[in-house]
Amino acid sequence: MNVSKDLIAASATPLILAILKENDSYGYAIIKRVKEMSENQLIWTEGMLYPVLHRLEEQQLIESYWNKSEAGRQRKYYRIKDAGLNELELQRQQWEVVHSALSKTWSKEE
Amino acid sequence: MFDLETQIQSWSDHLRARGNFTDADISELEDHLRDEIEDLITAGLTPDESFLISVKRLGNVDAVSHEFAKVNTDNLWKHLFIESVDSKAKKESRRDIFLVVIFALLAGTLIKIPGLFGLGFDDPGADHFYIKNIPLFILPFIAAFFMIKRKANRKTWLTILGTFIIAAVIINIYPSFSPYNTEILSSLHLPLLLWLVVGVAYIGKKWRSSQGRMNFIRFTGEMLVYGVLVSAGVLVLGAFTVAIFGAIQIDAEKFMENYYVIYGACAAVLITAYLVEAKKSIVENFAPILAKIFSPLFLAIMVSFLVVMIITGKSPFMEREFLIAFDLMLALVLGLVLYVISSRNDQQPPNLFDYLNLALILTALIIDGVALSAILFRLSAFGITPNKLAALGENLILLGNLGGLAWLYVVYFKRKCDFIKLEKWQTGYLNVYFIWTAVVAFIFPILFGFY
Repeated sequence: MNVSKDLIAASATPLILAILKENDSYGYAIIKRVKEMSENQLIWTEGMLYPVLHRLEEQQLIESYWNKSEAGRQRKYYRIKDAGLNELELQRQQWEVVHSALSKTWSKEE
Repeated sequence: MFDLETQIQSWSDHLRARGNFTDADISELEDHLRDEIEDLITAGLTPDESFLISVKRLGNVDAVSHEFAKVNTDNLWKHLFIESVDSKAKKESRRDIFLVVIFALLAGTLIKIPGLFGLGFDDPGADHFYIKNIPLFILPFIAAFFMIKRKANRKTWLTILGTFIIAAVIINIYPSFSPYNTEILSSLHLPLLLWLVVGVAYIGKKWRSSQGRMNFIRFTGEMLVYGVLVSAGVLVLGAFTVAIFGAIQIDAEKFMENYYVIYGACAAVLITAYLVEAKKSIVENFAPILAKIFSPLFLAIMVSFLVVMIITGKSPFMEREFLIAFDLMLALVLGLVLYVISSRNDQQPPNLFDYLNLALILTALIIDGVALSAILFRLSAFGITPNKLAALGENLILLGNLGGLAWLYVVYFKRKCDFIKLEKWQTGYLNVYFIWTAVVAFIFPILFGFY
């Protein structure tokens, strides 16, 4: 199924924040994790992910640091900050509002 | 034979050439590409297949680059005419352009007004009047522009405009007698003095703070660089106008002289001020780049001058013009040193340019020391004239400035103080320039009986 572009864009921030809440991560792993969590339904492109990561960093929701990967390469990791946790909670509430509203209408149709 | 490393290298070079990525972005994407390739190789693909697929997955470089451009706007010229996202900034930017246009027209008209009272450009005595007053026609508008931008309070407005008015009154009621030495000195020092007043308007409330003053120093450097560029544009446009109208036998020179030059100059100054303010932090500063290019070259020339002077045993000529030449040398060295400092991060450890700066200052101090000792001798032998005293004063003040910087550099290299001390010294020294230019502009004429 192709999820619409708008929905992908809107869900990017909470997904990234949620993944980083689990543990620190880096671009490639985040994309893989999203794919895994959505059972291959959500395929993010790199061109979309990195700008979002950088924007979140600019907004002080997450921070980055360089560390060595298992293969010994320099890798840029991202870590969630307290402001990010707050933002995630806020987004979660908003999504729940949307989700519960939609669920109600859809359950009526059945 | 497929060489994965070379391929990855050329891919990242390609990204670099797009110009939208910082080095950190490229390392990040490269790491990503390698992860992707490794996974594919583990899945059983050959290196070249893995590379091709990974590059394809990372997306069309143009598309990626475009997305990145939205985040990395730091070096994009198109953002100069700020594509503001929020409408408030957009409104402000529109208001600024409107202000610039109005102020340029007002300044130009103000210059034309004396012409109505028999003081046009060609009237007798007009040249003195205009040379003396030119900064007063334009600089108040720049100050006003920044006061509006910084939402200055009424007290600031009154102080700054009051200063301009007092300066205008004093400079114009002072009499002047041939050979007009003091008048010329006033005219030369007044613009510098008033520029510092503009600085207060530019910095705003924190005009005493070192950081604010450093920003004003940066602003001044960029004003110069952009001013030259914009003026060159104005000149080209003017020459083109004359030439093209000449082709149909219409002489545009009269119009050019009477209107284009005046309004063009005012507009050039104000537009430059607007541009420098708008581009702040969007485009990298040019003055430090120029300073870094030329400081090693200046050092080479000055060292060779010093060596030749010592070997041949010739002492520099002690005419006033040469004294002024040495003043200029010190001012140039100060400019180079200053703009290298201005682009420096306080936290950085000492680097090559810091040592170069110190070498530059020391060489300048030695050359100037030699020149000055000879000049003092001449002064005592031939008496004091306002010009000599002014040139000497400038020399001593610049010497004090550079000497202080050299001393602090040494202390800094010994890790006895932070770099911030140097900046504080420099920004504090602006007070000395303010006082000195005020003394030459307003007190010298009285001291020397307006001759």
